[in-house]
Amino acid sequence: MGFWNTMLAVDRRWIFLLVFLSLLIPMFLGVTFKLSISPEVQTLYDTLEQLPNGSTVLMTFDYDPPSAPELQPMADAAVKYAFKRDFKLIIMGLWPQGPLQAEISVREAMKDPEIQARNLEYGVDYVNLGFQAGNEFVIQRMGTDFREAFPRDIRGTDYSEVPLLKNTKNFSNVDFVFNFSAGYPGTVEWVQIAVDRFGVKLGAGNTAVQAPLAYPYLGAGQLVGLLGGMRGGAEFERLTGFKAKATTFMLSQTFAHAIVIVFVILGNIAYFVTRKKEQ
Amino acid sequence: MELLRSRIIIGITLLSMVLMFGSALAQDADKRDVLDSTAVRVGTFKKPVNLPIPAQLDVVEDSEGDAGSSITVSWLPSPDDGAGKNNVIEYQILRSESQDGEYVIVGSASRGMTQFQDATTTDGVTYFYYVRTISKDGGANSQISAGIQSSPQWFNTKDLDTFIIGLIICAAVIYFIYHAQKGKKFFLRQIAGLEAVDEAIGRATEMGRSILFIPGINDMDDVQTVAGITILGRVAKTIAEYDTKINMPVSRSIVMTTARETIKQAYVAAGRPDAYSDDMVHYLTDEQFGYVAAVDGIMVREKPATCFYLGAFFAESLIMAETGNSIGAIQIAGTAMPAQLPFFVAACDYTLIGEELFAASAYLSGEPKQLGSLKGQDVGKIIAMIVILGLCGLYTVASISDSVSLLDFADKIKGLFSAS
Amino acid sequence: MHFDLGVWIGAFLTLGIISFLYKDNPWYKICEAIFVGISAGYWIASLFWQNLVSKLYDNLAPAIVALFHGQIQYNLLYLVAGILGIMMLLRLIPQIGWISRWPLALVVGATAGLQFINYLVSNGVKQIYNTIVPVFGPVSDAGGIPPVATTGEGIGNVIILIGTFTGLVYFFFSKEHKGLFGGAAKVGTWFLMITFGASFGYTVMSRMSLLIGRIDFLVNDWIRGTFG
Repeated sequence: MGFWNTMLAVDRRWIFLLVFLSLLIPMFLGVTFKLSISPEVQTLYDTLEQLPNGSTVLMTFDYDPPSAPELQPMADAAVKYAFKRDFKLIIMGLWPQGPLQAEISVREAMKDPEIQARNLEYGVDYVNLGFQAGNEFVIQRMGTDFREAFPRDIRGTDYSEVPLLKNTKNFSNVDFVFNFSAGYPGTVEWVQIAVDRFGVKLGAGNTAVQAPLAYPYLGAGQLVGLLGGMRGGAEFERLTGFKAKATTFMLSQTFAHAIVIVFVILGNIAYFVTRKKEQ
Repeated sequence: MELLRSRIIIGITLLSMVLMFGSALAQDADKRDVLDSTAVRVGTFKKPVNLPIPAQLDVVEDSEGDAGSSITVSWLPSPDDGAGKNNVIEYQILRSESQDGEYVIVGSASRGMTQFQDATTTDGVTYFYYVRTISKDGGANSQISAGIQSSPQWFNTKDLDTFIIGLIICAAVIYFIYHAQKGKKFFLRQIAGLEAVDEAIGRATEMGRSILFIPGINDMDDVQTVAGITILGRVAKTIAEYDTKINMPVSRSIVMTTARETIKQAYVAAGRPDAYSDDMVHYLTDEQFGYVAAVDGIMVREKPATCFYLGAFFAESLIMAETGNSIGAIQIAGTAMPAQLPFFVAACDYTLIGEELFAASAYLSGEPKQLGSLKGQDVGKIIAMIVILGLCGLYTVASISDSVSLLDFADKIKGLFSAS
Repeated sequence: MHFDLGVWIGAFLTLGIISFLYKDNPWYKICEAIFVGISAGYWIASLFWQNLVSKLYDNLAPAIVALFHGQIQYNLLYLVAGILGIMMLLRLIPQIGWISRWPLALVVGATAGLQFINYLVSNGVKQIYNTIVPVFGPVSDAGGIPPVATTGEGIGNVIILIGTFTGLVYFFFSKEHKGLFGGAAKVGTWFLMITFGASFGYTVMSRMSLLIGRIDFLVNDWIRGTFG
């Protein structure tokens, strides 16, 4: 009985230490393992595969650096995939730091030799419209005219002077919208306005906290696919062939989850055993 | 005579031959033009290439229920779409301002699609469209449409069913608010957690420690923050009577001024205006994690006996709730953010789940508008419950009995909720 | 050895915040104060440039200049927005703070109106539509409804139906949770708790991912980046 009482009274700092070690040690093991692909990730990838080369894709970066460990890997893979498929990429963000995170993804993509060889040109093959304040009202304005919402791109160039945007007036000129979201405004607002009002095809990458909120939309067909957290990012990396951080860190994630599961089970057993003893 | 007749016959024959040859030449020339544009040269021969069977235009009309500048082009898919030798890659939509004028591509649709919305038109200008079916070998054009103009509409008839549903719910809310303002008493079920509010304040008073009140991290335009501040009014009334200390760090300046007013009013109403101090409510930062870092610091240093978390929260909620749990405070939380509820349920003593926060706000304030709104929303829930149960039953019966008429009827009613 | 000041400052702040897990200490207090101060300053600057300058000044200034040249431009309407913003700030002066209620009412009303349809359609009507499923019956493709092709699908439909219905019952405030109604509400509570548990599990992954990101920074960017 002493053991179970000890389990209930264990200092939380030991648990913190064990979790920290379970995340740290696998980083030095260099082991990656094969991931099964979730249906929602597969459908998202399949939808992208069905887009013809040269399609216009709008990528919205609605997150900031605190959420980057989860969303940056999937964003990096998505940008690399878009460049590989010659998609015309329009980048924007409803969070102030979002477009800057996008710049990181583009820089990362440009390190790939195959993508470098394509000699992609800013303004012709991709453009970053930057951030615009207004939350979901920005999406509403974009439904009528992108230019109203983004009069200039992130470099200050007038919308009408960007070659890529010449024939892009609103959502009807966009073949797919890919949203990376860490909260509000994010996937929920894109579904409510862009999908339900303007009929866009939307795929989303969410933090694991936000992903449960997006599943009802997935079930209702308002989302074509969903990448949930780092695991979703790792699966997407596997499908696109651009394995990076999300795949590398899956082992750490697995170890940490195992530690948590063990303590949850032990804690619950200890709770019921000691309660029974008191009765 | 005979000679003349034979010369005429020969002449006519020759003329006919010339005419026929000429016509054949012209046709050959046409064919050559077609072949030139689509044939593949193989040696000295041009190999004819099969183009896809073109899609046929179906309907070209002004887009319904919009603010103008939009024309919807629909077509019947090419038989080669997803089948046949010349698999369709995409459809291109071309437009011109005159039937014989120059056509430009205004957009494209993937294979399998049968509709495109051209949102770049100018109202009042007549446009002509055709659809080009593209395969790897080239494109084949549909017929050209009749002239069409785009125009705005005042009312979006596609959303009529949504409008009616919204109208019913709004009417219910207005009805109940009206009667609440007239003084009619409405029944609200008991909400667990509300009784704990007084108990929690009493605990803090007995221990001589402060109460920490967190109204969420959104601004006053969020209804959850409004609900949190309403409950603050009730809490402030009790702490003013008991002379309990309150510490309220906030992350929005407008929330700070509103909260100060609320607490000040409570102290004035309790007859103790001198006990009030503006320092009870103080601004930290708008940044989410900066705010929670400072709140955590306050918690471990001041060790409040009671923590209230009532409002809109995001990822910082777990950090706050866990720290509050570690210092042994009694914690009462309430939020309508589904993603944060699990953390509060796990770490707090009492949690107001979702709408219970608004119910608590209405219950404690007794304000007619809040009470009426809550009752009106219950009408919406009844409609949802009846529709879901009723139609599920209908579909199940139709499915078992294979009754087509019953299925059609159920489909019609279900279609009212498609919102498309 | 490669010294990057930004990385070292990042490492100092990261470890300082993490030290809070052991106990409150001066190192954490310094990092907390830096974080709060910098974030407050950052948001002031961000709100100034992204809202005040980009939304108000950039739209209003050309319109005012045009007005002096005798032209009336549509963007003059931003004057109204500017005045409403000033009215909002009057909240800080207690004697005339009541003026701020007008722009606040406008913001709340406009937001409610615009979001009413979004939430009604996406979170209400469409969710009702997708909850209407046949719970039992033979495989049938008639009428365009999804056939109950497998027993598993049928069980899934039943779970969705019960969960949605009892969840609605739980949040029904006009009737006491007693008797059959109370039983249904209790079932709804179970569904809610199972949902919260699943959501919490998902969140554990999220938090672990964030910690992995920080450890990656410490190990790769800081230690390996500095000492090779």
